[in-house]
Amino acid sequence: MRKIFRIYKPFTHAGVLLAAQYRANFYFFILGDILRCFINYFLWHAVFTSGGNKTFMGFSEVDMVVYIFISFLTSVLAYSDGSYAVGEEIRDGNIAMRMIKPIRFDLAFLFQELGERLITVTLIFVPLLVGVEIYKFVVTGAFAFNIVNFIIYIFSLILAYLICFYFNVCYGYSAFVLKNLWGANFLKDCIVGFLSGGVIPLAFLPPVISTILNILPFAALTYTPVMLYLGMYDVPTIIISFGLQIFWLIFFIILQQIIWNACVKRMSVQGG
Amino acid sequence: MKLLRKTHRMFKLHRIFIKQDLKKLMEYKIDFLTGAVGMLLTQIINIFFLSVIFSNIPDLDGYTFGQIIFIYGFALIPKAIDHLFFDNLWAIGYFIIRKGDFDKYLTRPVSTLFAVTVEKFQVDAFGELLVGILLLGWSIPQLTLNISALNIFLFIIAIFFATFIYTGVKLITSSIAFWTKRSGHIIYMFYMINDFAKYPTTIYNKAVRAVVTYIVPFAFTAFFPASYFIIGGNPWYNIGGTVVMSVILMAVGIFIWNKGVTAYESAGS
Amino acid sequence: MTRFVSTCHLLAVINRKTKLTEKEMKKLIYVENLKKEFKKTIKDPGLKGSIKSFFKPKNEIITAVKDISFHVDKGEVLGFIGPNGAGKSTVIKMLTGILTPTSGRCEINGKIPYKNRKNYVKEIGVVFGQRTQLWWDLALRETYTVLKEIYEVDDESYKKRMAFLNEVLELDDFITSPVRTLSLGQRMRADIAASLLHSPKVLFLDEPTIGLDVVVKDNIRKAIKAINSEENTTVILTTHDLQDVEDLCGRIVMIDKGSKVFDGKISDLKSRYGSSRELKFIPENPDSVKSLDFNKEFNLKSEDMAYENDGVTFSVRFNNDKIGVEKLLNYILSKTHVKDINVSDADIEEIIKGIYRSEVKLDA
Repeated sequence: MRKIFRIYKPFTHAGVLLAAQYRANFYFFILGDILRCFINYFLWHAVFTSGGNKTFMGFSEVDMVVYIFISFLTSVLAYSDGSYAVGEEIRDGNIAMRMIKPIRFDLAFLFQELGERLITVTLIFVPLLVGVEIYKFVVTGAFAFNIVNFIIYIFSLILAYLICFYFNVCYGYSAFVLKNLWGANFLKDCIVGFLSGGVIPLAFLPPVISTILNILPFAALTYTPVMLYLGMYDVPTIIISFGLQIFWLIFFIILQQIIWNACVKRMSVQGG
Repeated sequence: MKLLRKTHRMFKLHRIFIKQDLKKLMEYKIDFLTGAVGMLLTQIINIFFLSVIFSNIPDLDGYTFGQIIFIYGFALIPKAIDHLFFDNLWAIGYFIIRKGDFDKYLTRPVSTLFAVTVEKFQVDAFGELLVGILLLGWSIPQLTLNISALNIFLFIIAIFFATFIYTGVKLITSSIAFWTKRSGHIIYMFYMINDFAKYPTTIYNKAVRAVVTYIVPFAFTAFFPASYFIIGGNPWYNIGGTVVMSVILMAVGIFIWNKGVTAYESAGS
Repeated sequence: MTRFVSTCHLLAVINRKTKLTEKEMKKLIYVENLKKEFKKTIKDPGLKGSIKSFFKPKNEIITAVKDISFHVDKGEVLGFIGPNGAGKSTVIKMLTGILTPTSGRCEINGKIPYKNRKNYVKEIGVVFGQRTQLWWDLALRETYTVLKEIYEVDDESYKKRMAFLNEVLELDDFITSPVRTLSLGQRMRADIAASLLHSPKVLFLDEPTIGLDVVVKDNIRKAIKAINSEENTTVILTTHDLQDVEDLCGRIVMIDKGSKVFDGKISDLKSRYGSSRELKFIPENPDSVKSLDFNKEFNLKSEDMAYENDGVTFSVRFNNDKIGVEKLLNYILSKTHVKDINVSDADIEEIIKGIYRSEVKLDA
């Protein structure tokens, strides 16, 4: 384990430097995205005012606002560029270079991206979280930060990121077939965004669909961590959620390995 | 007469470039199809989101589902038209200036702004355009609209000028790259404000309302003109405002662009 | 009112002053005291540095082109040379209307590039060797159809023009292939054709032979020559390949660190700075050269004599005006036995190398 860290530390370092360099740009992008959160905030505010009800399908207004911002935070932190990176490597043929290096393809990417995430976390994690907690305090008049929920959330978030990473690497291999990846990635982001609860809580969907989506790996990316943060799940559900997250992570790691081995075989036979 | 010749030439060039772009499209069929499906799907998901909300409440801040859909659909049309014709401004902010590729537009005997924008015909925008028209088509029978020749004329005027509010915002923010080398992130931040226009501005607080009305006036691309058609109001403000804002933004944009072209520093040696 | 009059008067005076004289008008290209400065923001490293530079940017002014003047006649082929970073491309970009000069004047065919840009660029063709103006994803032919419209070339002239360009640049082999599939040499030919479609009066070529192999380079040079001689097109080219210069250019302007260091014919350059010779010999016994001591024997300055020993070949560069070949030969032969010996003129490359290293004093 320590050896792995030693070998891949330079990648993390490169990731940190890269992300730090584009810090200013990143802020503007995030600001643009946070605007969308505010639109949703006003929209839901109007919904609760117009409807006159205290709750909307089991969510109070405070729950909904927390959901909007924490699901945004989660989707940013658990986002992975893996599919673009792999797609690019395939298109420009660099993937062959990966095979002659004595390091693991997936780990090199992973550690570089972890470095980038490190910067992302320092830039938005604290401000957003503190903002949400202050909002809760102002509206409810009580300080209600739940440390247990927070710790559970962090664990779930880490798992979510890893699942997202391996899912995206697997998806990136589709560049072998689809060649030009912009459209395919856009479509993927759009579908995954919806299925993971990034648009609306999965609980708002018809029960059958909601149950199916909860089992699919996408819920594990955003919806599960956010629900844990909100403290919406009881203990058995928490355990099941973690079980599902771990299952999907192992599933995608193995799938990634199988595809990679097939690629290596294909390339050594066909010469790239 | 000279102006007529000039416009004629511009349209001719536009046609030629569109033809070229469609040829290019055929080279990357799958990518185009997946991209267009993605655009379509994004809108469908948003509509689904609205329908979930309305399944639980009778109206939103006094607006019915039909009215909200009308505003939403209206918002998509100028956005799509701008997207269709002026998409290359994004590339200005992201890489054309940084890589020094702007050089080639300066060696062409047409205005640089025209040369840049004519080069890309962004077919992906048809997804948005289609959804916008379908939503209007679906919502109009649900509403009591006063369909008169004047209103149809005003509708076309509103769509036309609303398009240039989008273009103007992109033009101003992309021109910043002439000085800073890249401004893609700035375009993005300001462009995202357009999402506010899809809903009645009455749901926002005063500060937000002031920003989207007077500073980055996206409210004039959808809510103001659309609400004139669905609930009436003063056309001089609702439609006239769109025209005025659009003219101001474009004038400022072209001014900054031209300043930027003289400040352009190219790249490398 | 009086103020208005005085401003008018002032403007009139300036106008009179900037008006070109009769003689200057005959020149096609007229450049005087051209200067270009770039502003560069200095960023301190780290987060603190970028915050600081955001609020209080520190600027440094870099002068890329200091003060350059030259004229070009119609039909001339002018070579623009200088080491990397000398400011060649910056000058070319000012002449083509891409950059606005900080100060100074340039007029081409009576037009000021950055002022009458749209009108002006109809009269010039520009090729940047490291960039392409062709449409990457489309067949080459499509680029030409688009350019035909942009430059408003009528159908008949277009046909004639394409036939001529085809003959000179041999485009037929790849005109239907997508640009991204072209080889570098084909792409360069295609780019040159694209810049000539509208029969420009002046052709600017920025490193047209960069990265090409010897045969392709030769073809490109032949094409440039043909275009120059058949249409009397004025050509301005920058290059690092001195073979380009010797083959093509009647005249060269050499710049270094933003200033002009030489302006004239290549033969002038040779005769003026060509007193430099090189003597090379291979000693029978490599150790025997140790007994040679040129400094003691001739006592010349390092710019007049320099030597180098790579273990096999011994070479001496010397100024023929200061020391005769015979004297030098006698001295060497008296000290060692040689297997092979050879004395040569310094070629243009050697002279330019010398100027770049500022070993050769220029009496400009």
